[in-house]
Amino acid sequence: MSNTTDTPLVATRWVEIGLALFTAALGAVVMVGAVEIGIGWGDVGPEAGYFPFYIGLLLSAASVGNLILALLRTPAMSAAFVGRQAFRQVLAVFLPIVLYVIAMPFAGIYLASAVFIAWFMWRDRQRSTPYGIPIVAAISCGAALASYLIFALWFKVPLDSGVLGDLVAVAGGALR
Amino acid sequence: MSEIDSLMQGMALILTPHHIGLMVIGVLLGILVGVLPGLGAPNGVALLLPLTFTMEPVSAIILLSCMYWGALFGGSITSILFNIPGEPSSVATTFDGYPMARNGQAGEALTAAFTSALLGALVGVLLLTFLSTRIAEFAMAFSSPEFFAVYLLAFCTFIGMSKNPPLKTVVAMMIGFAMAAVGMDTVSGELRLTYDQPWLLSGLSFEVAVIGLFGIGEILCTVEEGLVFRGERARITPMTILRTWAKLPRYWLTWLRSALVGCWMGVTPGGPTAASFMSYSLARRFSKNRDNFGKGEVEGVIAPETADHSAGTSALLPMLTLGIPGSATAAVMLGGLMIWGLHPGPTLFVEQHDFVWGLIASMYLGNVVSLIVVLATVPLFASILRIPFSIIAPIIIMVCSIGAYSVHNSMFDVGLMLIFGALGYLFKKLGYPIAPLILAAVLGDKAEDAFRQSMLFSDGQLSIFWSNPLVGSLTTAALLMLFWPLLARVLKALLGTRQGHARRVS
Repeated sequence: MSNTTDTPLVATRWVEIGLALFTAALGAVVMVGAVEIGIGWGDVGPEAGYFPFYIGLLLSAASVGNLILALLRTPAMSAAFVGRQAFRQVLAVFLPIVLYVIAMPFAGIYLASAVFIAWFMWRDRQRSTPYGIPIVAAISCGAALASYLIFALWFKVPLDSGVLGDLVAVAGGALR
Repeated sequence: MSEIDSLMQGMALILTPHHIGLMVIGVLLGILVGVLPGLGAPNGVALLLPLTFTMEPVSAIILLSCMYWGALFGGSITSILFNIPGEPSSVATTFDGYPMARNGQAGEALTAAFTSALLGALVGVLLLTFLSTRIAEFAMAFSSPEFFAVYLLAFCTFIGMSKNPPLKTVVAMMIGFAMAAVGMDTVSGELRLTYDQPWLLSGLSFEVAVIGLFGIGEILCTVEEGLVFRGERARITPMTILRTWAKLPRYWLTWLRSALVGCWMGVTPGGPTAASFMSYSLARRFSKNRDNFGKGEVEGVIAPETADHSAGTSALLPMLTLGIPGSATAAVMLGGLMIWGLHPGPTLFVEQHDFVWGLIASMYLGNVVSLIVVLATVPLFASILRIPFSIIAPIIIMVCSIGAYSVHNSMFDVGLMLIFGALGYLFKKLGYPIAPLILAAVLGDKAEDAFRQSMLFSDGQLSIFWSNPLVGSLTTAALLMLFWPLLARVLKALLGTRQGHARRVS
C-alpha cells in the first residue's frame, strides 16, 4: 500500500461520499429516462421503462445508504484514501492513457499506440540504465506492427488508422 | 449410459488437429493473461471474444474455455514465484506457495499446484458430465417465473454471501442492470435510456466494462501500490515432477475435501475465490502439520489450488444448464454464447447437443493439455514477468484499448473503457465488488424478460413467485440469502447473548 512517509491526499470519507453521490445521480438519471418512456402498464403488459425504473430506484436508494454509512462511520473513514506521492504515480499513468485515447481518432490506433509505448519507456528515468533509442523504437513499432498483423491480417478485424492514416492512404493513391 | 455416449461423440468431434491446436493456443494465451498484471481470465476472454465471431461456436468455446484453464494455471505461477496473485482466486496459494519457493522448493510447489489443479478440474468436469443432463431436464419444466426466481436466487446470494458490504454489492449490481437496459428494449423493440444520444443507441456492451474495470482499473491499482516483481527462480526438471508426484497421494483427503468445497462454491455463485480461501482454512484446521502452514507446507498449496480449479470448472454447470454463470469469467463466456446466437439454458442440451458435449469433452482434454503446456513453459512465463513494468504496462493498455475498440469498431467504446477504468480503480479501493456488475450486465435483459413475462402471466401480481412449490421455494431461498447477514446476526444474538455481553464488558 502507500508509503508511511507519504502525506495523505484525501480522506477515504470524501471519496466514499463522492462515489455515493455519483451512483445516486446515476440512479436518478436512469429513473428520469425510464419515466420518459413510461413505467406503467401498457397494452402488452409492463412498458419498457417499468423494470429500469426500479433498477434506478434501487441504485439511488442503495447509494443513499452508502452515503449515510460514510457519514456515520467516523474512524475508518478518516484514513487516507491515497497518498500524495502514490496518487501522483497513478495520474502519471492515467493522464497519458487519457491523451492516448483522445489522440486515437486522429492519429489512428497504430501510430497512437507506438507513440504511447515509446513515451512510456522514454519517461522511465528511474532505471539505472535508461532505454536506448533503438530499443524504444523497436518495441513501440514492433507492438504496433504485431497488432496490425494479428488483428487486421490474421483475424480480419481492421483497426481504425485515423485521420492521418486516411491521409496517408489518399497520398499513396495519388502517387500511384 | 447416455452421458458416456454423448461424451464419446464430443470427443470424436474435438479430436482434430485444428481443435487441439486451438487448445494449445488458448492455454498459452490464458497463461499469459493469468501471469500479466492487469489482465485476468474475465478480461482475457472479453478481449478474445470479438475475434471469435467468425468461428464455429464449438471452436470458439474451446478457445475461450482453454484460455480460462490457462489463466487459472497462470495465476498459480505468479502466486508461487512472485508472491503476486495473478488472479484473485489464487491469493490463498501465495500463503504457502511463496514460502516454499523461498525455501528453494519452487519446482515442488509448482508441480503440486498444477497437479492438484488438474485433479480439481477433473472432479468439476465429472460433475458436469453426469449432472448437467439431469439438471437441464429438470429445468425444462421451468417457465418464466421459475427462471426469474433462479436469477433472483443468484443475485441475492451475491448480496448476502459477499465479503463486500451488501449495499455496495447492490450498487454495483444495479449499475450492471442499468447498463443492460440501455438501447433497444428486447420485448417491445422500443429505444430506451438513450437520452437522444446517437452513441447510446447500440447499448453499452459488457465486454467494454470488463476490459475497463478489470484491465485499466487493475493497472492503476498496481501503479499506486508501486509493485516490484521480485521473483524466485524456478527450475522444473522431470525428476522434480516425479519426486513430487510420488509424495502427493498421501494428501488424498485434502484433495477430496477441497474438490467438494470447490464444486459447491462453483455451482452456487460463491466463485473460485471464496472456494480457495475456504478450502485453505479447512485444510489448516484439519491438517497434522498445522504449525507449518504459512511457512511452506505443500498441503497449503494443494488445498486452494484444487478448490480453485474445481470451482472454476463447475461454475460452467449452472451456466450451461440454467444460463446463470457462477463466476465473472463464466459470465463473460455466457455473453459470448449469446453473441454467437446460442441460448444458454436447458434447451441448449437439446438444440445444441454437439456444442455442449464438444465443450465438455474439451474440458477433459483441455485440462490435460494445460498441465503439459504449463509444466513445459513455466520458465518462459516467469521471464515475462521480469520484463520491466514500463514496457509491459503500455502494451497491456494498448491491448485493452484495441480490445475495447474491436467490440463494435467504435472509438466511443475506448472512451467508455477509460471511464470504467477510473471507476474500477475507485471500486477496488473502496470495496465495491466488480463481479456482480458484470453478471448483471450480461444477464440483465434475460432477467428482465423473465420478470416481465411473469408479470404478464399474473397481471402484475407478485404472488406469482409463490404460485407453486418450486417457484415458491426458490423465491423464499432467494430472500433468505438476501437477508442472510441480518439473520445470522439475529441468530448469533439469540444464541450467544451471554458471550457477546462478556466481550462488551471487557
